[in-house]
Amino acid sequence: MEEKRTAEELLEDLLQGDAGDNALRLLADRIQDDNQLGRRVRDELEFSEMLRQALKSEAVITAESVDALVESASLETNELIDRVCDGKPTAFECDRLAKHLWENPKAIGQLKQRLAADEWTSQAISEARGEAAFVEALETRMWAETRQDSFVDDFAARLDQEIAIQDGDENVVPFPWGATIAKMAAVAAVFAFGAFMLAEQVSQKIGNEPVASLVKASDNVRWKGNLAPDANGGVQSGQYELSSGVIALKFPSGGELTVEGPAAFRVDEDGSAFVYHGVALARANTPDNAINLQARGINVLEQAPLIGIDARSEFSTNAFVLSGDGGICMNDGATCRSLFEFEAVKADYTRDKLVDIPYNPRAFSKTWELLSGVETNLGDVRIELPGTEPTRAPGEGEVRVFVENDSFQPAGGLEVDLLPAGQFAAVGSNSGKAIETKGELRSYLLQVGPSNDKSVEASLTFEHEVVGVIFSSDRLESSDQSVGSSMRDLGGDFSRVRGLDYGSDELLLSDDGRTLNLRLQSGGQQLDQVRVLVAVR
Amino acid sequence: MNSSDRELFVEQVREHHAGLRGFVRALGVDPLWVDDLAQEAFIVAYNRLDEYDHDRDFGAWLRGIARNLVINERRKNARRKRILSDNLTDVLVSTSSVAEEEEREIGDNGLVRMKALKECIATLPEKSLQMMRSRYEDDLSAQDIAEQYGMKPPAVRKALERVRASLRKCMEDRLGLAGA
Repeated sequence: MEEKRTAEELLEDLLQGDAGDNALRLLADRIQDDNQLGRRVRDELEFSEMLRQALKSEAVITAESVDALVESASLETNELIDRVCDGKPTAFECDRLAKHLWENPKAIGQLKQRLAADEWTSQAISEARGEAAFVEALETRMWAETRQDSFVDDFAARLDQEIAIQDGDENVVPFPWGATIAKMAAVAAVFAFGAFMLAEQVSQKIGNEPVASLVKASDNVRWKGNLAPDANGGVQSGQYELSSGVIALKFPSGGELTVEGPAAFRVDEDGSAFVYHGVALARANTPDNAINLQARGINVLEQAPLIGIDARSEFSTNAFVLSGDGGICMNDGATCRSLFEFEAVKADYTRDKLVDIPYNPRAFSKTWELLSGVETNLGDVRIELPGTEPTRAPGEGEVRVFVENDSFQPAGGLEVDLLPAGQFAAVGSNSGKAIETKGELRSYLLQVGPSNDKSVEASLTFEHEVVGVIFSSDRLESSDQSVGSSMRDLGGDFSRVRGLDYGSDELLLSDDGRTLNLRLQSGGQQLDQVRVLVAVR
Repeated sequence: MNSSDRELFVEQVREHHAGLRGFVRALGVDPLWVDDLAQEAFIVAYNRLDEYDHDRDFGAWLRGIARNLVINERRKNARRKRILSDNLTDVLVSTSSVAEEEEREIGDNGLVRMKALKECIATLPEKSLQMMRSRYEDDLSAQDIAEQYGMKPPAVRKALERVRASLRKCMEDRLGLAGA
């Protein structure tokens, strides 16, 4: 068929990019016999190339670009390498250098070394390009892509240790009782040290009445220096240095502050707190509960119900809103902004700037565990951070706990499953009952994802009394809206199978109504969810 | 992927990120996109960790992934490219697979180099440090810095190059001392 086509048709196919191997072979044969056709094809191809170049954006020539072209043409290889390493070379300079390098391959190694050294210098000089920033960005990217990939946790746990060690070596905030005086940048040092010394002097004049109570602490809490909570948990005004562990303080206003060591902070008589260094998470369910919270570089002007402060860097402090809305200012009071739920901002106080950063609340994992109102007695349990959405991803035999709604008033008709206290019983069909409480509730969603483990056992003790448990698929579905859950349909037959399995899964609510024991069969593709409602007040 | 694989990966990120970023830059990637591309290489590596042969050098495997990502940049639309110039990257990529020693020199021991370099930077005079901060922290070109300091661009380039050279010598001296 191709043999019957004219030379004109074959040429047209060639110019349109449609010519196959057979057509090209035919055209080549005909060119051999027809010089005029050969010239015609050459002319058309040359013109096509001119068109291609003319249509490329870089082909736009201006007076400036001609000057740059002339200038770059006269530069030696070393000068061109300088231009490229300077950071903003023109396209002409890059292309010119490429030409030099093809002619002089020995210079390629020189350029590579220069570029690599330039990159390392940038990493060493700019905090924004340092290891912590790089890893944080990588984690955020992983978080954004997977939302819950365990890589983040593995990474975080290892990295936190490393950074803490490095901080201990080089970046320690200079406290009078600290063992290490670090080589800090002048601005940060003056700021932090000055603020601290002033606070230290003030604290000496203040009395010894407790201004807050230590309500919770992890097992590994170690205090440093001459001030620590008393045996009854009383916390006097003054500066505290927490070497390790996590603690939770409750203020007379009802506000709570959890701090993870290594950290240094101050509490004052007026119920305010200042975080010099470390990670802290503050909760205020109502504006009346708010703590007057400050940190190095940051003043929390309007406290969101749950706000986190990450003050581990010597140059900046990050603030995260994990729930509700709020507002913060830099310490100068002049630079302020509103912060909404799941937003984060970095206060760069060496430059007086507030910069938006991605919301990645990983730093608050441990402080959040203390504030979540859940205590684990048995089993592999993960308390998920606010903003983490339940997914159907395979689990690792663990119970994931989501705080769905920190505080809400149940609408009428909220129905829960019957679960008599004190009996370890297999889940079965039951008639359910309407919830009786009229106070404020908190809703937790417990989830066990599909995994290879045949059964999962866990025991969770809640800070507040459990007033309702929902484990049947239909009641989970119908209560989503009432509890203000952000639960999405996870696809497939999710809405029918999200509950526990009758006959095989077992639950036990303790006599005091605070501890829930679970024994779930989780093998295969099953997804098990349980909603737990506790009475907050 | 089991937990020991993940553990290995975490170790390798810490060990290789600085060197990998240097390597990526040395292939002609725009400085503004170096971190982005290096992160992409780590993510690809993480997702393909099951394919990693534990007998091979992880750094070399990572650099292979990064090199492929850079080569892919050549095929992208001009506006989306993360490299300075197709031609320049052609030259740099075409030699990167043969000069294994040189490549290893750039890509390996990033942590040690970084530590040495930071120690050297701490010894810089204030004015030199300010100029380097303008260049690397504020991302100003020599032309921009010249305007800021009321100098001529060639003088700024020369000053930056002098500081860079002294830092490199200092770093290498420290590495040499550490090696000895």
